[in-house]
Amino acid sequence: MEIRAGACHRVVGASRQRARLELLLTMIVVLLALFVFSILIGGGTLGLGEAVAALFGWSSPENNMVMHSVRLPRALASLLCGAALGVSGAVLQALFRNPLADPYILGVSAGSSLTLALSILLGVTFGWWGAYSPYSLYLSAFMGALAVTLLMMIVSGFVRSVTTILVAGIMVGYVAYAVTSIVQALVEIERLRVFTYWILGSFSGARWSILGPGLPMLVACVVGSMLIAKPLDALLLGEDYARSMGMRMGLARLGLVTLASVSVAMVTTIAGPIGFVGLCAPYIARQALGTPAHRTLLPASALAGAILAMSADLAARLVARPVELPITAVTSLFGGPLVIYLLLRGRSIQA
Amino acid sequence: MIRALGLASGYGPRPVVRDVNLAVRPGEFVAVIGPNASGKTTLLKTLASLLRPLGGVVYLDGRPLTELKQREIARRVGVVLTESVKPGRLTVFELVALGRYPYTGPLGRLSENDRGEVMRALRDVGVEHLCNEVFSKLSDGQRQKVMIARALAQDPRVLILDEPVTFLDPKARVDILLSLRRICRERHIAVLASLHEIELALRLADRLLVVHDGFVESFDSPEEFVAKGGPEALYGLEGDANFSAVHMAMELRHHRSRQPVFVIAGAGTGALVYRMLSRLGYPIITGVLHRGDIDYSVASLLGARVVSEEPFRPVSREAFEEAQEAAGESFAAIYTSPPLGPMNSANQLLAKLLASCGVPLIVYGGGAVDGAWRRASTLSEVASALEELEQHRPRSGPRQVKPSCQSTAHLNTGAGPMAPRDT
Repeated sequence: MEIRAGACHRVVGASRQRARLELLLTMIVVLLALFVFSILIGGGTLGLGEAVAALFGWSSPENNMVMHSVRLPRALASLLCGAALGVSGAVLQALFRNPLADPYILGVSAGSSLTLALSILLGVTFGWWGAYSPYSLYLSAFMGALAVTLLMMIVSGFVRSVTTILVAGIMVGYVAYAVTSIVQALVEIERLRVFTYWILGSFSGARWSILGPGLPMLVACVVGSMLIAKPLDALLLGEDYARSMGMRMGLARLGLVTLASVSVAMVTTIAGPIGFVGLCAPYIARQALGTPAHRTLLPASALAGAILAMSADLAARLVARPVELPITAVTSLFGGPLVIYLLLRGRSIQA
Repeated sequence: MIRALGLASGYGPRPVVRDVNLAVRPGEFVAVIGPNASGKTTLLKTLASLLRPLGGVVYLDGRPLTELKQREIARRVGVVLTESVKPGRLTVFELVALGRYPYTGPLGRLSENDRGEVMRALRDVGVEHLCNEVFSKLSDGQRQKVMIARALAQDPRVLILDEPVTFLDPKARVDILLSLRRICRERHIAVLASLHEIELALRLADRLLVVHDGFVESFDSPEEFVAKGGPEALYGLEGDANFSAVHMAMELRHHRSRQPVFVIAGAGTGALVYRMLSRLGYPIITGVLHRGDIDYSVASLLGARVVSEEPFRPVSREAFEEAQEAAGESFAAIYTSPPLGPMNSANQLLAKLLASCGVPLIVYGGGAVDGAWRRASTLSEVASALEELEQHRPRSGPRQVKPSCQSTAHLNTGAGPMAPRDT
């Protein structure tokens, strides 16, 4: 009896596991292809050979320069930011027990944008770095993200309804954007040009100067998230059950909120507020893998997020060439309908 | 072993439950009962350390809960709550494996031992065949079993369940409660379960923790609780219902708006007839029943007027006459064909007498009585016969008994069954 019961799990479990592994590998292949595509295409298209040569610095000086200071950082930024958004979406969805939780919808990105605007436009800083130091920007973006995430946690403590939290998040976002607009209006036009484009969201501004200090943190966030699969799984049953199984709620919440806020802050600083990747990536991962278990879901969300962000960036660059579209314009095209679909389906989380 | 001393628990500054003192040993099944909003859930959550006590201490294996780490508590206490969980497409195995949380490392990887414990828990509640099913696609009863298995996977010393069977069908209820009872003994763990099903609790639990108006009212064995009149007091059953100590069950008192029916029964042949009449709103007069006969206790519980005889005595003349007189108030009589012997053969005589005196007699249960108005082979035939009689006989005062029926002397020819009372 014992052997049969054990076997029943292992046989079926193993075949499922293999299917999931294959899916993850497929996603990695797709991602690599997108990466290559992304560094090949730009203002002028490079051939594969030229691109590889430029990558190693063997091409013409202009090609080398374009590759190293424009295309490579941009491709890396979209890949890592997408992954970070995917992970933060998955974390927020588990934390809020809400399939519609997403940094953009909950207003976390807007909070980041506001504090960033204060930093960039008014020179308000939270650290000991100068106003234009990347660290200072990251820190102020983190403060905004953290503040909104905590605010939303408090709101969700009072409100259970999935849609009410959603509306509250959108309203918090509006307020943050309103303040951001007021700040923008107060500043002379010269300083605004970059900012105006940034706030629409785009990876075009990704340069090593800002990306360099952020990259290790982004990698740490994505890799580190794999360590929190266990508490996130426990949260699938709700907070009371999670605590009854030995989870220290306060500590876990703090860790998860910090992780999500750091991820969103990094992304917002590098590329501006990017919508819906954090919503769609975990959704796609769950649908594709057929499991809410975070040991599989988190890497899959990271991969899906990276794929989404890279494809959206490519689309933004290619659709109206030579004009570049803001990236949220692209992501909203599939994000918006998904939100509506999830609302209409009305089922509770992570089905 | 779990122990509480002077425990007060609640959400705000004012405790919902206070002064709770209890100790539950391993292998003991405690049912927590009490009206809604009496504080059962609050108390259980506090014992499970999901709520901080407002006062007093909870001891687990002799150590206060406050001194134990969350993980140490989780290795000793498993809980099943009322809130429904929605873990998406998690499989049964994956869900139960979450119960190994306090044993696994930071990555949550399961060891062989963990897998074994998960399978043992699944087997203990009898759902190992579901291990690869998706949890959310199971029936309510199966889900509840899986949630119990998840708690058992924590290998707890104490299992706390908040209304584990409330929304389940009767089969699942009995099924789950019996498995809990068995697991409690086999695993030698203390089980505390709040139950609304007081009749099941009385049949199942070692002790009942009765919570009422924020206090523990009693903490006795079910039998002790019933003997002290606990159920009536707890649920305030005056007038509307009776609690039968013999049956450990509740009996409803129906409003009786119709005319009385006389029933001749005995040895359990009348029980269902009484219940049907009671439900249909007929006042019941019955006799002659021996005290202690099962029909006697059913009829008394239902509030019938019972003409009775001492146990193991032949029906006396006094009782016979009393029954005959009482029958005069009824518009119909039912004979339920009880097995006859020296002690009760007078009842057949009574049936014959009533029939001959013009009381419409319905014979149910396969017996035969001379002069019977109708034979009914099913209870619904009995019911429709009564309806028919009711329509033919407009409501009036007590029926006039024929003069020739006033006395039973002419019938009393034999000896045995009609012996005078004290001989």
